[in-house]
Amino acid sequence: METIVNDFTFNIATANGTGSQSANLILLQSMFKMGVPVSGKNLFPSNISGLPTWYIIRVSDAGYQAPGDRTHIQVLLNKATWDNDIASLESGTVVIYNSDVKLPVERDDLILYPIPMTTIARGLNPKLARMIANMVYVGVIAELIGLDSTILDSAVNKQFNGKAKAIELNATAITLGREYVAENFEQICPYSLEAREVNPESFIIDGNEAVALGALFGGVTMLSWYPITPSTSIAEGIITHLPRLRSDDNEQLTCAVIQSEDELAAAGMVVGAGWAGGRAMTCTSGPGISLMSEFVGLAYFSEVPGVIWDVNRVGPSTGLPTRTQQGDLSMLYELGHGDTKHLVLIPGTIEECFEFGWRAFDLAERFQTIVFGFSDLDLGMNHWICNGFDYPEKMDRGKVLHSQEEIDAIENFGRYRDVDGDGICYRTLPGSGLEPILYRGTGHDEDAVYSEDPEIYVANMARLKRKIDGARTVLPQPILREEPEQQVGIIYYGSMENTIQEIDDILEATGLKVSQCRLRSLPISPIVEEFVANHEQIIVLEVNRDGQLYGILRKELPIKLVPRVHSVAFSDGLPPRARKYSEMIREKLLEVMS
Amino acid sequence: MKLNIIDLPKDDYKGGPSSLCPGCGHDQISNVVITAAWENGIQPNRIAKMSGIGCSSKTPAYFLGKSHGFNTLHGRMPSVTTGANVTNKDLHYIGVSGDGDTASIGIGQFIHAIRRNLNMVYIIENNGVYGLTKGQYSATVEKGSQKRKAEANESPPIDLCAMAINLGCTFVARSFSGSKKQLTSLMRAAMSHRGTAIIDVISPCVTFSNNDESFRSYGYVKDNQSELHAYDYIPTFQPIADVEVPEGEFKDITLFDGSTLRLETIGGNHDPSDAVAALSQIHHAEQDQTHVTGLLYYNPEPKTLDEMLNISDTPLSELTNDKIRPSEEDLASLLADLRA
Repeated sequence: METIVNDFTFNIATANGTGSQSANLILLQSMFKMGVPVSGKNLFPSNISGLPTWYIIRVSDAGYQAPGDRTHIQVLLNKATWDNDIASLESGTVVIYNSDVKLPVERDDLILYPIPMTTIARGLNPKLARMIANMVYVGVIAELIGLDSTILDSAVNKQFNGKAKAIELNATAITLGREYVAENFEQICPYSLEAREVNPESFIIDGNEAVALGALFGGVTMLSWYPITPSTSIAEGIITHLPRLRSDDNEQLTCAVIQSEDELAAAGMVVGAGWAGGRAMTCTSGPGISLMSEFVGLAYFSEVPGVIWDVNRVGPSTGLPTRTQQGDLSMLYELGHGDTKHLVLIPGTIEECFEFGWRAFDLAERFQTIVFGFSDLDLGMNHWICNGFDYPEKMDRGKVLHSQEEIDAIENFGRYRDVDGDGICYRTLPGSGLEPILYRGTGHDEDAVYSEDPEIYVANMARLKRKIDGARTVLPQPILREEPEQQVGIIYYGSMENTIQEIDDILEATGLKVSQCRLRSLPISPIVEEFVANHEQIIVLEVNRDGQLYGILRKELPIKLVPRVHSVAFSDGLPPRARKYSEMIREKLLEVMS
Repeated sequence: MKLNIIDLPKDDYKGGPSSLCPGCGHDQISNVVITAAWENGIQPNRIAKMSGIGCSSKTPAYFLGKSHGFNTLHGRMPSVTTGANVTNKDLHYIGVSGDGDTASIGIGQFIHAIRRNLNMVYIIENNGVYGLTKGQYSATVEKGSQKRKAEANESPPIDLCAMAINLGCTFVARSFSGSKKQLTSLMRAAMSHRGTAIIDVISPCVTFSNNDESFRSYGYVKDNQSELHAYDYIPTFQPIADVEVPEGEFKDITLFDGSTLRLETIGGNHDPSDAVAALSQIHHAEQDQTHVTGLLYYNPEPKTLDEMLNISDTPLSELTNDKIRPSEEDLASLLADLRA
């Protein structure tokens, strides 16, 4: 039998709350430290303990990071999903299962490794058997695919933070797993690992922690937040790193953190802090954004800076709270009643999570408005290989006046008077002793005085539009991968970045070469329009049902370009798999080109 | 021209012309805010005036024209004030809200501002009706209140002072827009307090709720008000020895900024440090269909939100860019740890 090297997918089926996450991270970290490109996906339930969880590890020399389209090595510990997990396997799949569960594996086309995981674990420590059983499968996998034992030991050490007792117990469980396989099976596992050159710059991190670090380097001075999956770990990341990165000479913090009573209050605190001259942010998910809507409109109209991160989960309503989607995009773009439009930053990589984490504050203060960071559960909560973070560019605090001389230099100063013609006006801060302003969400004239005058309203709304439109060339611009003279271009965004290469390879294998345009912000850059104009057919690829970016493009592109734009949108809660989307793209092109 | 302790005329504390109904209790409260801030000698630019939505929340346009302010969303003044407060903890925050703004749509934020002991003066201009939408009952209106063309109100009222005391609010007072002297003393004391100072001010709505049977009409409050004490506010810059000693019994309370609130006994003997006694006063007043006014409860001990957060002594809004951005070395050392 031919051995397949560095190109296979694990699926580890356990129950939530059994400690399997530690085992899975040890596996992921060890393979990564061998220089093998890996990615991990945690498919977990909305539950504290007991419901089914799957952890998918993709090992891919090609660098593919999407969950693969099939499982090559299945680990079975969970009775509840046992039969379905087995039924879904392709012939020839390696199955490592806990034989103490005493459930049958009635297929003769699989390569079976029955392991008495519970018995082995009980022998070590009866009380902790359930957790240790996970380490037994780590040992089994290590032996089968050839995981370097020194590297594995150091991953265990890291996972348990140097705690000697825990390290010894878990390392022993791994050894027992290894020994059991060596002693009891003669068959050769068809999948194996080979070490690759290690990039010393790289490490593993999730998107939410990267956003948190970006915010801390961006000078966040207030975080208000309300716990909600999958955004909570942004707040927790900030709290964890705050003392190290943001303590002053007196060991006092330069950022206030408030766990608010709800997302509505969190947004209110952001607006209050931004008004007072701080760099304020909150992080949430779709249900929280819904609650923040009125405040976002207030910030837009009264022109207060603030940053809101939306780590998208599956809606509508409570939806699938622990699954991923790009379902909030159109909501973010036009959140609030009346005519509004907001700046939306859309990272597609871990490095961009950090970069947009700090850049959001510069943009919010420059444009005196709310800036959304738009991530999703896949990017935010799963683990990715990161090559490091670049130190931020010089801080942009926007048009804030700090002295009477600066005010005097402006002819006829008014809070909402467009002195520079870019729609962005000058502001003074509370406590500065300069030109007092009574901010309001009601209609106001250029001096911030209440007004219902139709002409004043129209002029103000036109200026706001001009201001936001001015951001189109300032925001992170799209990244193009253009093939010369190709008919088809794909526009996509966010975490689809991690599946697009594989989609591209699948399409190319069928003879279809495509150009790519990865959108990184809203409102749309003029470069997107050029890209559309340069291709005869455009596919807008996204992880939702209705094609939300497609809708925005139809509204904003010149009417003559609209007929060439087509939507491929699909969302089932799982991170996008390449085969599914490439098939949909082919079908759509067949439909529109026939 | 008469100047205050920091040499400013009272005009420096005034605002624009009011657009409320002539005779509205809210305008009297605005005048008290102006007087209290002027008499206390607070720099107008060190004050931030905050409000929600409603008749009451319009009033920041009518006082303290030299102060920054924010007329926010309905019921959401506390959260905006919270964000501003931790960002610039050294400003004086004066929030204005109404009974609709606080007792209904904003009840959650009211509760949590108190729970955090947000350092602010929180004025409720309480008239029992929704004015801007033409006179619907609010949640503080008495049971049985009967408006023309409407069914009687059958729900019991929410007493915001009782609620605040139960939540551990550190300064709780009730007053009446028509009792200028009492309200001014309490307002000045509230401005000298560190922590959440709630002043629930009965403020008659002359358009929708000023019939004599209405518990919050001028006529009713005048006839049915029982005052806990007579008050004399003695500012820190006025030597207390120079103040004439009252003939009867009195008790002095020292406030955070060193000023004194003198409580002169005029009837009963309410001790504002006794929360149970304060709740009992409110309960009996409700039974008797009267309004008990004065300083109901006072506790200077609890920490304020900004103290609990362990933030820099310098207001966060005043930190220079290099103080809020970690260095390149910090990033290098962080990355080294992540790579380990």
